[in-house]
Amino acid sequence: MSTEGKDQGKDQGKDRVPIRQLPTGVPGLDEILGGGLPEYSFNIIAGAPGSGKTTLAHQIIFANATPERPALYFTVLGEPPIKMLRYQQQFTFFDDAKMDGAIRFINLSQIVLDKDLGAVLDAIIKEVEASKAGIVVVDTFRTVARKALNTVGEMELQGFVQSLAIHLASWQATTFLIGEYVDGEVRDNPVFTVADGLFWLQQNIARNSIVRKMQVIKLRGQESVPGLHTFRITDAGLQTFPRTFGLTDNKSEHVKGRRRLSTGIPKLDAIMGGGIPEGDSLLVAGPSGAGKTVLGIQFIAEGLHQTGGPGPGGTEPGIVAMFEELPNEFMQRAASFGYDLKKNLKDGSLKLIYLRPLDLSVDETVHEIVNAVKEIGCKRLVIDSLVGFEMALAPDFRTDFRESLYRMIGALTRLGVTIVSTVEVEENFTSMGLSNFTISFLADDILRLRYASINGQLRKLMMVVKMRRSKHSIDMCAYEVTSKGLAIGEPMRGYRALTSGIPGPWLVQSAGVPPLHPEAEGEPNE
Amino acid sequence: MDMSSALMRDWARRLLAVEAASQSATGAHVHEAVRVCEKLQISLTRFAGSDGFTSLLRRALALACSDVPSLQIVKLKPDGSLEGCEVLAVSVTNGGPEAAVAITAHLLGLLETFIGAPLTLKLVREAWSDAPLDEQHSRNRG
Repeated sequence: MSTEGKDQGKDQGKDRVPIRQLPTGVPGLDEILGGGLPEYSFNIIAGAPGSGKTTLAHQIIFANATPERPALYFTVLGEPPIKMLRYQQQFTFFDDAKMDGAIRFINLSQIVLDKDLGAVLDAIIKEVEASKAGIVVVDTFRTVARKALNTVGEMELQGFVQSLAIHLASWQATTFLIGEYVDGEVRDNPVFTVADGLFWLQQNIARNSIVRKMQVIKLRGQESVPGLHTFRITDAGLQTFPRTFGLTDNKSEHVKGRRRLSTGIPKLDAIMGGGIPEGDSLLVAGPSGAGKTVLGIQFIAEGLHQTGGPGPGGTEPGIVAMFEELPNEFMQRAASFGYDLKKNLKDGSLKLIYLRPLDLSVDETVHEIVNAVKEIGCKRLVIDSLVGFEMALAPDFRTDFRESLYRMIGALTRLGVTIVSTVEVEENFTSMGLSNFTISFLADDILRLRYASINGQLRKLMMVVKMRRSKHSIDMCAYEVTSKGLAIGEPMRGYRALTSGIPGPWLVQSAGVPPLHPEAEGEPNE
Repeated sequence: MDMSSALMRDWARRLLAVEAASQSATGAHVHEAVRVCEKLQISLTRFAGSDGFTSLLRRALALACSDVPSLQIVKLKPDGSLEGCEVLAVSVTNGGPEAAVAITAHLLGLLETFIGAPLTLKLVREAWSDAPLDEQHSRNRG
């Protein structure tokens, strides 16, 4: 757009009617909706039985109802209101005080059974006008629609919905019709055509796991976050996990690689050209027992020894998201290498996130990590390990794993968090894989650890495979895991086929091929 | 009898007393238990539908019959009103006032069972905004 065009757009924006946004009362949902519920909108909450529709509606009314602008909850032949109240009051958002007039339940079953659509409309309008309701819910509207389609026709139903929408908007009510619908019904449905907002809740079974997802299929007047968002129902009601991870408002000015972060292993820093560029994502790939977790511990501990960082005592706060061992096991392991991190746990400069396996959604997991990052101002994050992370997810989410991980790593590194992720690779002696999960594209930098059979010993080798925008050593160095952490030795010289794991002595220089300079460096990867 | 039932019996007695006083003032001839049920019917039907109210009252009547067998002649009409309430007007020795308390207390008790005492009180308040019920409720809660 030209400058003139932009200015015109700005001027036009000044004249636009402001749409106030109401809070949903559902953590994460306001972000998905692009800020909240558009006031005076006419919405449908659709989904199969048990998908959380009624609970969502209750959260919305408890978040918004006041004695001056009450919420009217019309029940129609669905869950009996007495039982609904019995169950809904178990949620922590249920506020007794609001039942004193701010929230009113009205049963329309008899009118729906005995009379026509006109009488239903009259009853709703009468109550809304008398109460000056700010929020109106009809649960379930599907019953009304079904009765209408059985007795009159689609046109009459559309006319009824249209009249309802007009009247309720005129009386400045934000409305929610709740209905049990299945996927195929969204097309050509007169009810959906009239609606300003359409929220679709799903509950899928994948093997032995339940996966709940929500989609904002349409929302007039504002930009919502597209796609399926995971949600969970707990005793606090629905909690959604937006695909944007709560980071849509972050305008980070972080420039990647402005400085280097020490790994706590000076020789590794040297190999990497001075340490890990701040804001990079480093993938440490290697077989079991190669020292990946130890490297992670050293990286975190080094940050906690800093004195110029934003954390307590000038530390660079760190988080370890662990999927394979328990926090106390991690602490013991760190202590065995000489790192006493109890003080850091106490002062908040270190946070250990242990995510219980099974049925996790990837977005939920990522949210937990992102929230912790925000909470402690994390500068260093270790994910140990990506394989464990994936295994902890419900099967349905494993297909989304790489995509979600990509979004998370992108979002966090843009904030300036430096991430070290470990991944176990199955060692073989015919090739050198970087990861079984083809996730190396997530990493700015890749460090490969591997075993090699040399002189009858199983030796450990380390090599920097890739560093984006940065020069690095191309040496393959021997290293050991000692009681103080990783001890890196000299570059392995005089061997051929080290990457195969079964090297042999370097005997003959190929004719016509000049020898590589022993101090040659790897070029930055783009 | 458990504490919550005692609370509902107390509420029932208070509501019946309020209605009896009101009846004396207006000179009406409908038994106070019937008037209590009618008033509860209005707020409960609005909230739970007429089916919701009649099913609760039917159950309350059955429970009350166990306490006061003379109530067996009382029947529930399809419109949710009580029939054969003459038994409520008889003397204490024939279980009259106790019968009225039993029906009312069991109806309130069912609501308490399903939605809890605080929400039951709010529903009752819709019909009797100034009935002296809160003090007793708070005491039991505290």
